[in-house]
Amino acid sequence: MHNTLNRFQSVFGFFTTVAFVLGCFIAATDFYAERAPSGTLKVSNLQVVKGRPHYYSSVQEEYAIIKFSLDADLSHLFTWNTKQVFVYVTAEWPAPKSGVNATNEAVIWDSIITNPSADHLKNIGPATMKKLKKSAQGKTIAPDRGILSLRNQRPKYQITHPSRKIADTENVKLKLHYNVQPWFGLLTWNQNQDIGFWKAIKGGVSAPFSLPSIKKKN
Amino acid sequence: MLSMLQKPRQAAAQVLNFALILSSAFMMWKGLSVISDSPSPIVVVLSGSMEPAFQRGDLLFLWNRNLLQDTSVGEVVVYNVKDKDIPIVHRVVRKYGEGEDAKLLTKGDNNPSDDTELYARGQDYLVRKDIIGSVVGYIPFVGYVTILLSEHPWLKTVMLGVMGLFAILQRE
Repeated sequence: MHNTLNRFQSVFGFFTTVAFVLGCFIAATDFYAERAPSGTLKVSNLQVVKGRPHYYSSVQEEYAIIKFSLDADLSHLFTWNTKQVFVYVTAEWPAPKSGVNATNEAVIWDSIITNPSADHLKNIGPATMKKLKKSAQGKTIAPDRGILSLRNQRPKYQITHPSRKIADTENVKLKLHYNVQPWFGLLTWNQNQDIGFWKAIKGGVSAPFSLPSIKKKN
Repeated sequence: MLSMLQKPRQAAAQVLNFALILSSAFMMWKGLSVISDSPSPIVVVLSGSMEPAFQRGDLLFLWNRNLLQDTSVGEVVVYNVKDKDIPIVHRVVRKYGEGEDAKLLTKGDNNPSDDTELYARGQDYLVRKDIIGSVVGYIPFVGYVTILLSEHPWLKTVMLGVMGLFAILQRE
């Protein structure tokens, strides 16, 4: 009954159980860490241009280029179980035809903010990596990375609509979102109402605006 | 091995025990599948396109019910492309419309461009039924053994050999 294999099996089995239970405890601490994120979003420049989806395409589409300014405080989201925070800004607008109760939503900008404990996993060049690691000054948790301040930021993605038309769209809003990726446990997003210690984002929505007509060539 | 033939009652008990382990594992898998409404409630990450969030070998738990809201922008979903059997884990970045027919576009966080190139010919967007679940839970690294086994088939042979050897050498 007590040969090497049995001993190895029971040690390994016990190890996995202990590791799993410990992981669950760590994941549960997330719920006791306060989250009070806030953000201010402002549109700074709007432009709609014509273009093609890719080089070899003959299709003409309209693209909206929405420049914006963002001030956000997401510092609470960085805890010992945070691997990265994925911050993204979406543009949201209702269906063009009245009577169709549907919304359209598209990401115009996003950013991966790693906790220093996950810096080494980031896919960046060696020089940028050195700078990033230096910025943490040996800390494993860096709440100050959650303070964002962007001025007249160019969007990463120029958005369009399946109908290929987006000029003159009315009632467009920008919204700030985040997704916390843990080292172990549940993935969490910004919520619409307060849940326990987690508060909904204060602000984080821009004033509604309309997209301009296509820029005419002179 | 010879001792097994001499003690048929004990041998039968061992076979039954083994079958019990297999069937309960299968029941748990299928039970989880029913609860989450996903054909594959746990998946192993196979590519680095969602790095640094997910590395190869990480284990993801999926949820495929829309109890409170539609599958929306920002969720990390696992989808199957038509006629291809490889599940892909990427984030929804655009959504046009609502409900079953909403057009969804996905992108890997670590990829420079969206997934239009990965979709089937003539397919520009995903719909809800292409998605087999949204990622809700995460355990690092545990699934790496399945990647090792599928990429180095000789490991299976070695494992079976070692297990067989132990079975023969093992004495009560």
